[in-house]
Amino acid sequence: MSGIQNTWANRVTDRGMLYLFLIPTFAFLLFLVVFPLIWSLYLSFCDYSANTANSPVFVGVKNYSFLFQQEDVWERFVATGQFVLLAVIFEFILGFSIAMLLNREFFGKRILTTLFILPMMFSPVVVGKFFRFMLDTNWGIVNYILGALFGIPKIAWTTSYEYALYSLVITDVWIWTPFMILLSLAGLSSVPRYLYEAADVDRASGWFKFRYITLPYVAPILTLALLFRTMDAFRFFDVIYVLTEGGPGYSTQLVPYYIYKLAFSYWHTGRSCALAYVLLIIVIALSNIYINYLNRVRRA
Amino acid sequence: MRKSILLISVVFLVIGLIGDAIAQEEVTLTITWAGWAPMDTLIALAEDFTAQTGIKVKGDPIPWPQYHDKIFTEFASGKTSFDIVLPDSQWLGEAVVGNHLVDITDWFNQHVNPADYYDTFVKSFCEYPDGSGKYYGVPGLGDFCGMAYRTDLFNDPAEQAAFKEKYGYDLKPPETWSQLRDIAEFFTRPEQNLYGVGLWQAPMPSGGLTDVFLGCLWSFGGELWDPETKRVKGILNNDIGKEVARFWVDLYQFCPPGSTNYGMDEVNTAMQQGLIAMMTTYLAFYPGLLDPDLSLYWDKIDFCPTPKEREWWVQLGGQGMSISAYSPHKEEALKFLEWWISPEVQWKWAQAGMFSCLKSIVEDDQYLSFAPVNKVARVSYPVLRDYWEIPEYNEMGTVMAEILNGALLGKYTPEEAMDLIAERHEEILERAGYYK
Repeated sequence: MSGIQNTWANRVTDRGMLYLFLIPTFAFLLFLVVFPLIWSLYLSFCDYSANTANSPVFVGVKNYSFLFQQEDVWERFVATGQFVLLAVIFEFILGFSIAMLLNREFFGKRILTTLFILPMMFSPVVVGKFFRFMLDTNWGIVNYILGALFGIPKIAWTTSYEYALYSLVITDVWIWTPFMILLSLAGLSSVPRYLYEAADVDRASGWFKFRYITLPYVAPILTLALLFRTMDAFRFFDVIYVLTEGGPGYSTQLVPYYIYKLAFSYWHTGRSCALAYVLLIIVIALSNIYINYLNRVRRA
Repeated sequence: MRKSILLISVVFLVIGLIGDAIAQEEVTLTITWAGWAPMDTLIALAEDFTAQTGIKVKGDPIPWPQYHDKIFTEFASGKTSFDIVLPDSQWLGEAVVGNHLVDITDWFNQHVNPADYYDTFVKSFCEYPDGSGKYYGVPGLGDFCGMAYRTDLFNDPAEQAAFKEKYGYDLKPPETWSQLRDIAEFFTRPEQNLYGVGLWQAPMPSGGLTDVFLGCLWSFGGELWDPETKRVKGILNNDIGKEVARFWVDLYQFCPPGSTNYGMDEVNTAMQQGLIAMMTTYLAFYPGLLDPDLSLYWDKIDFCPTPKEREWWVQLGGQGMSISAYSPHKEEALKFLEWWISPEVQWKWAQAGMFSCLKSIVEDDQYLSFAPVNKVARVSYPVLRDYWEIPEYNEMGTVMAEILNGALLGKYTPEEAMDLIAERHEEILERAGYYK
């Protein structure tokens, strides 16, 4: 048997190998994530249009101050807040409730669970199109059923100020409630059975078992689910694009959609970057609130 | 064994290099346009071009709603997947300011006689800025805003008698916007699921409310701005502007409920399904209305121009044909443009039922037999008008469409809407540096 050959590969130390694997990954991340982040942050302080050959001109906080002075930008933030609040609350309540129902043995449980989870697997654009057809004022099946069963006159779900935002909420709830179901089920299945058995021996009420056994166990994972959904709801774009297209007026132009319009319809690249950073700061602040709560729950 | 592997590798390498060299000699021009009947027709016609020149042509159709953003995102990246593009007339300024289109002025002056075309097509599809003598494209599709109406309703003797009794004049395609309102009112019968008129009301600058509203505004005698000073306040929102806004909001009661998001697809569907008695659209969309597979009323539809009022102006649609500044095949693309503008090709284009921009074709009586919309094209072309052809058009059009869309639903009064639009337009123009 010959000895180990003195090749280049054999001379690489463990630490060297570590760097060999890490450096390309870091370089890739720097190029694809960190550089665009820094560049877009710089552009947010510039007067710049990506549609022209002109270089960015540094204008300080002008883009930010402009955005904060626009009443319609505030209206878009309010609409975004309403959407996030309503969508996440409904998804949470529905998702957790359905998970509670599914967290027991019964015939057809697996098929039912799969069916409940299906909506999450569809492309949001496809779902948006489906809902656009279903919620159509004149030939949508929703108005047809409401009219046939209850005699309710045609509702302009996606084209009236009263209902357009709710049509987005309904669509988002349909798509993402399964996510809440999945995470809630994961949390619920982690609660030890013997705790419930002990509570039964003590004749504890259903509410007592839920409040003092179930909730403490599932709270961390529910907080995580809420965190993910809140962050994601702030990025809600694709369904708006196909369902309401931002209308009526600009009432359903939530901030991500408006960022897109600023960037690619009006070519105010600097201003759109500034608005994207404002949104990012809001999402980070909200995430911190969740994370602090999560840490407190864990410590408790 | 090693020698065999080496030999096989060399053979593959040589074949690859030869194949690549052959592929490099073969030029394929890519044309991008919206995915609609004119695109299919153009690509089918281009087979003749390939037969003549050996240059292959392929189409890259994009759905209308994504068309603008897709091509301009590619422009912004400095590399395009297409060589030839047919941009909407109002996009020309935006594309030229970004240096995204090839300046073909010298070629244009040698090969194109502007007098062969209607003025508006040359000004709006080819020249930027207006009157500069700098050209970036050739006339492509001469589209325009027109109307379609249900002949089974309009020609029904009982309907005609009832209409005459109520309004005191004959029921026929509307010649004025006031008549359009009467007819729309007459046919609005929610109990029969029938509404008077379908209008583009979507809050979008292209393919939405702005397109149709402006034909109405101009025909009432309104104006968008002072083209010299670019001032808007006191012009757009003067008494006439506010009168038109009131008229437009009033007209909405005769449109199908929930139709504030109507654009090209929605209004076509409403007509195909018999929900409306008449509609406005860009008439290049007419094939879908006459397709028996799509339309329940395919044999009961005819076409007429958008109405007059105190004046007569029709909103220009259509596109010119330009070359991407990032195309590696500019010479071949110019050959295509030369082939495209030849009268023989334009005749074939017209015979296929498409709108030609050549006066000699449009004014030839044969042209009327090629498509039922051609009679409308002939009378509309002399009164075509386009809106702001400046890079800020998209933001200005969006502001107008969004605010008027809000007025339809009662968020603003028509007067408030026009005041607000004028104010916002001046803000946009101010920021863009038009007031110095």
